[in-house]
Amino acid sequence: MIEIEHLTKRYGATIVVEDVSLRVDEGTIAVIVGTSGAGKSTLLRMINRLVEPSAGRVLIDGQDTMAIPEDELRHRIGYVIQGYGLFPHRTVAENIATVPRLLGWDKRRIAARIEELLDLFQLEPGEFAKKFPHELSGGQQQRVGVARALAAKPGLLLMDEPFGALDPVIRSKAQDDLVAIQRRLGTTIVLVTHDMNEAFQLGDRIAVMDQARLLQYDTPAQLLTHPAEAFVEQLVGTAERPFRLLSLTRVQAALEPGAADGDPILVSESLRDALSRLIWVGRDALPVVDATGAALGRVSVRGILAHGRSIA
Amino acid sequence: MNTISSRTTAPGMSSLRPSLSLALSLDRLGSVVAVLIGVALFACPFVIYRANRIVAGEGRMLTDALPPPGVLIVLIAALGVASCAALVRNPLIRLAAASVGLGVIFPAVGWSAGFVTPAGNTFARVSPSLGFWLLALSFALLAADALTRLRLGPWARIAAMAAAAGAVALLLVSGAWNDLSLLKEYANRQDIFWREAGQHLWLALGSMTAACLVGLPLGILAHRVRPLRTAILQVLNIVQTIPSIALFGILIAPLGYLSAHVPLAAALGIHGIGAAPAFIALFLYSLLPVVANTVTGLNQVPAAVSDAARGMGLSARQRLCQVDLPLALPVILAGIRIVLVQNLGLATVAALIGGGGFGTFVFQGIGQTAIDLVLLGAIPTVALSFVAAITLDAIVDLTRRGS
Repeated sequence: MIEIEHLTKRYGATIVVEDVSLRVDEGTIAVIVGTSGAGKSTLLRMINRLVEPSAGRVLIDGQDTMAIPEDELRHRIGYVIQGYGLFPHRTVAENIATVPRLLGWDKRRIAARIEELLDLFQLEPGEFAKKFPHELSGGQQQRVGVARALAAKPGLLLMDEPFGALDPVIRSKAQDDLVAIQRRLGTTIVLVTHDMNEAFQLGDRIAVMDQARLLQYDTPAQLLTHPAEAFVEQLVGTAERPFRLLSLTRVQAALEPGAADGDPILVSESLRDALSRLIWVGRDALPVVDATGAALGRVSVRGILAHGRSIA
Repeated sequence: MNTISSRTTAPGMSSLRPSLSLALSLDRLGSVVAVLIGVALFACPFVIYRANRIVAGEGRMLTDALPPPGVLIVLIAALGVASCAALVRNPLIRLAAASVGLGVIFPAVGWSAGFVTPAGNTFARVSPSLGFWLLALSFALLAADALTRLRLGPWARIAAMAAAAGAVALLLVSGAWNDLSLLKEYANRQDIFWREAGQHLWLALGSMTAACLVGLPLGILAHRVRPLRTAILQVLNIVQTIPSIALFGILIAPLGYLSAHVPLAAALGIHGIGAAPAFIALFLYSLLPVVANTVTGLNQVPAAVSDAARGMGLSARQRLCQVDLPLALPVILAGIRIVLVQNLGLATVAALIGGGGFGTFVFQGIGQTAIDLVLLGAIPTVALSFVAAITLDAIVDLTRRGS
């Protein structure tokens, strides 16, 4: 768990981050979103002390980060940036081994960890371990960047625009993969982005920043239904609002008894995906099944619309 | 002769057919080389004969420079290389032809010296003349061009250089060149030659090492402290513009004063003239390339890489040693290469102020109008620079890991 308390950063007379307080629970993803120059990256970099706060403090699991030596603190926190900063003179395996080596792990343990991570990120160890970063595609570099950050099993991962350099198709796959890996490892993630869609897709909670201030820190649904300020409402996008809400809700919520014809929809899909399918196939209702294929009921256009209105 | 020359070109025929079918598609560089070879063979003396080491000589054309079988061999080889140069495009064949050409004329010039020198005459001097030098230049051009086109890796380039050096060493050791004037000058000065060689290397390599020891930390400092960077580079730039002789002159006064008033300096062999000012001047010239390239190399480290390194908890020292310096190394080495080649050449001038080195022979030779003595100093200098350049280029390539 990370507690940020009254964190402030000033450069001379310029205030970059002003009195920000927020809490990120163990094993969740917090996304910091805002326009460029809003102070998001500075806030993130104060967590691992790449930027020294002017005032306020950061507690990780109750321990003040100022009480931990800088480098030791960073060994415990994964760090991924836009462009990844892979060491071009080192192989993929050597890149991933960076922090374990600094921590003095023995060779066998490091080798095992490299293989485990490459498997986790769907990079065949035999093929990729010996490659240099310039021999990888953008998506592969991104995965190596995240793998390197997770190498020493940090409880906390800081990510600054980690998908910014990817093309849209690869980006959405990389985002899904990150969520899947995060759920599996239970890592706490603080992620900075300027992309609202990304924030909604990844964040358990979203922090909206503007001009050095934290405007609102809430769940995506709360952000949509109860924006604290006009700026948040504008950033969230009023036209997009019902669709964003539907994409946050699972089919389970609008499940009706009964049967319907057509290709079934998974109960775990979002209502937005379900509505999209209904519109596309031109039906009023489709059957709903669970992951094993067992029929659970049906979902209808009317039901989805009613549901959308009821939560709004 | 025809059969042999056509056999030399035969292996290239298959790959060559398209260009041959165009009949007139001659290789441009190859044609120039072929013309050069023709001029060298038929219009220039192969060697120069002099009754003693300082009188003017008389040229001997190839036909008078070697016994008939030797003339025939050189003619066949040179014409073979010429036709290869003009007609064959395959770089491997061109390289082989050039190597054969060099392999024929180098021993041939030694043979010629023995043939032209009257028996028992120890005063007569025979040295290579324009014809030989033009042939050597043409073959070397052809070989260099072929090597460039082959895009050899660093190890292959070092191997090629080692092979060439080995061949020259073999010629020297075997005594095939003993009748050449250059080797006669060497024989008369054997002890001094190796002493000056040692001195030359000590001046060039020693000042380079000192410049690295001072320049690297200075470069790192200049990279980190921006205001210092401009100041340091400006000062070194100004030093670089001082002509070498002037710098030697400037150093004579303070060093002379030092040796006269500080007993320790005198005991260490520091005097106004001699090796000390030469060493210091070379050291000062070396600083700019080392410092400037260290700064440039460190500047080229991508910002994201430095940020990631810091973010992962590498200490300042770990970042410098594990990330910044390895990434800057190729650029720093390129600076050291400049220094080494520059110093090997400049060290020659050190002889003017009694600093020793190969320059001693050059200036003595000029004084005595003995061109062979000049060459005894000049040729090793050129050879050393050449070897240094190739070796360091290869090392630079080898350090470009993962780029």
